[in-house]
Amino acid sequence: MKRILVDATQCAGCRVCELACSYSHEGLFSPSLSRVDVVKEDKYGLDYPVYCRQCDECPPADACPVGALSKGDYGATVLDAEACINCGICADVCTYNAVKLDEASRPLICDLCGGDPVCVKKCPTNALTYEESVQVTDRPEGVFRELRERWGIDA
Amino acid sequence: MPELGGYTGKVLRIDLTKGVSKVTELERVLARAFLGGRGFNAKRLYDEIPPGTDPLGPENNLYFATGPLVGTSFPTASRFNISAKSPQTGILGDTNAGGHFASEMKYAGYDQIVLEGRSGKPVYVHVSDDNVEFRDASHLVGRGVYETDEIIKSDLGDRRVQTAIIGPAAENGVKFAGIFANLMRAAARTGMGSVMASKGVKALVVRGTGSVSVAKPGMFEGLVEEIEDQIRGHEQYWGRRRMGTTRILLMANEAGFLPTRHYNAGTFEHAAEVSGERLAEEFNVKGRGCFACTIPCSRFYVVKSGEHAGLYGEGPEYESQGSFTSRMGNRSLETALKANDLCNRLGLDILTTAESISWVMELHERGMLTSEEVDGLDLSWGNGETILALIGKIARREGFGDLLADGTRVSAERLGRGMDLTMQVKGLDIIMADPRGLKGFGLGYAVASRGGDHLRSEPFLELADDPAIGERMFGVPDATMRLAYRGKGKLVSYFEDWNAVIDALEPCKNIMQNMEILTFDLASKVIEATTGLQMTPAEVRGVGERIINVERAFNVREGIRRKDDTLPRRFREEPLTEGASKGTVFELEPMIDEYYGERGWDLETGIPTAETLRRLGLDRASADLSKI
Repeated sequence: MKRILVDATQCAGCRVCELACSYSHEGLFSPSLSRVDVVKEDKYGLDYPVYCRQCDECPPADACPVGALSKGDYGATVLDAEACINCGICADVCTYNAVKLDEASRPLICDLCGGDPVCVKKCPTNALTYEESVQVTDRPEGVFRELRERWGIDA
Repeated sequence: MPELGGYTGKVLRIDLTKGVSKVTELERVLARAFLGGRGFNAKRLYDEIPPGTDPLGPENNLYFATGPLVGTSFPTASRFNISAKSPQTGILGDTNAGGHFASEMKYAGYDQIVLEGRSGKPVYVHVSDDNVEFRDASHLVGRGVYETDEIIKSDLGDRRVQTAIIGPAAENGVKFAGIFANLMRAAARTGMGSVMASKGVKALVVRGTGSVSVAKPGMFEGLVEEIEDQIRGHEQYWGRRRMGTTRILLMANEAGFLPTRHYNAGTFEHAAEVSGERLAEEFNVKGRGCFACTIPCSRFYVVKSGEHAGLYGEGPEYESQGSFTSRMGNRSLETALKANDLCNRLGLDILTTAESISWVMELHERGMLTSEEVDGLDLSWGNGETILALIGKIARREGFGDLLADGTRVSAERLGRGMDLTMQVKGLDIIMADPRGLKGFGLGYAVASRGGDHLRSEPFLELADDPAIGERMFGVPDATMRLAYRGKGKLVSYFEDWNAVIDALEPCKNIMQNMEILTFDLASKVIEATTGLQMTPAEVRGVGERIINVERAFNVREGIRRKDDTLPRRFREEPLTEGASKGTVFELEPMIDEYYGERGWDLETGIPTAETLRRLGLDRASADLSKI
């Protein structure tokens, strides 16, 4: 399965991905409506965009009380907006904090833009790629710790 | 004002004296005449801060404004201006920074935020969309920028807030303290942090969940793609990605305008050791960028060995790198990194700090100041311990640092020596380019509305040394020859207008101006696509001219005249004796004459004529200045 992969050593934290995502999905420039969320630690120069990992086992889909989440094309988790009751359980149970809620508690989950993710196309540093991969289990905290160890700072 | 794209249409006014805030509508006429950012701030300063106002009194206002492009995907649109009457210079105070603060301010719903009055106790102001909260900051008093940022984020339980913070230097009454966003995005010129401290405000914190939309999406998308391609295909692309502005140092050295040992020379024998190239090869570990940037040029570095092993941070930019090395004769890049880091944490402007130290070292070299007078420090050029010690002393106003804490002009007055050797204009210390090797830059320092500064004009075209460009653009071949002086009035007024427009729209000037991307022609289209406002390229330039003139009117009202548009004596009288810029001095008077002619300012006084101000629609300024 193809997945969006992050190279944290290349991510500059510019958040162009967030802008591309919110604009293509909502027609608005608004990071809070983006399906990707760049976690940052300015002190250590660290940036990590968090995406839906297309997990084989998807806790949000399992936990959804109305079955509004299912696996769709390309392995993306797809929302049935009509069925959704905006309860927010999906955001609570997602292991990777990859489900965001908008102001009306509508879940925002990466849909891979129909197999051609706009964030990957727009990423100015090629920190994002879309390629065949096993499931990624990295978390920002772990990646950050590893980079700090590599650089020898406050590790 | 919902009909305009790009803008949020709202101004937030925060009254610290009463602990209340109110939202006012952004006037459409203001948007059209001043566009945003620096333009909004300059106009309000002129209208709201009368001459004679105490810069550190409650009646001075502190204005934060961003531009219509910010919050959209327009490449590099991330910046904001902070303005007030300056405690360092006594005239227009204004400073600009990037990072992620400005976009957050837009998403919170504001084009401009104004801090008014003075809080009776230390506070930080938390603006979260429509909510404005005055929070106790007594536990933050005296704390550094990094620590303060961490405590605020943990107090609020929100790591996504964006902070603009002052450090202990501002709280201790240093007059050139800055305001810091994303820890090291320094809005540090002209003492705006000192003004924030005078208001009892430790930090302005913003968080926004809103959105920004544009007036003509199809047109906007096309322009953004065109600009993204221009950036990526530009010959400077990889140099900037790798080194940011530190790429300049070796070029400046080669051209002989790298200020060395306090402008006594234009080349530094250790330039390679302190170069951007060395920084990239030995220290940088990762690139970083401001919001919406498609050419991220910031660099995160780690010092791996030696005395400062374990030091890390973002930057430095050329001005800091050069100021803490060649300017003071220091060949240790690590010491410069440490100095830059200290200034960020303590909340100091690096340029005035470094100029103060370099000035002290020259006074010592000339036998005008003894080590005993300066707390027993070794004042020989480039002494690392002294450099770092003086930074701390300035920030704490301790020992000799107290004398340096008001800026070099006041330092020389208090010391009663060395005024001629302060490298400042109107109280603001000049940057890392010797004006004898860059005449247009020099004219820019002499006339800049915030004092000795290059970012008001930065006429980089003269670096090309190509007379054909001068002939084509200004009808004067010398205009783009760096050592010539003719045509510089035309060159500088053009670039001042251009930079004012960019400071109003608030993308990155390094990219949009230095890389010749956002021309008046393209800006006209970008403004239409983003806001819906239709302006010809000439009208866009007119906005720049209007901003320059309202700023000049503010300064004239505070007493600025032709005599103040000058450069330190050394540049006017002593030629450089080595390097590729040797043998010439700065021909001030003919350049000022030509510049005033271009501007429509009175040749004798430097005051904008009534006709000039009326042509720009600045009727109130015209009436005010006619009484002078």
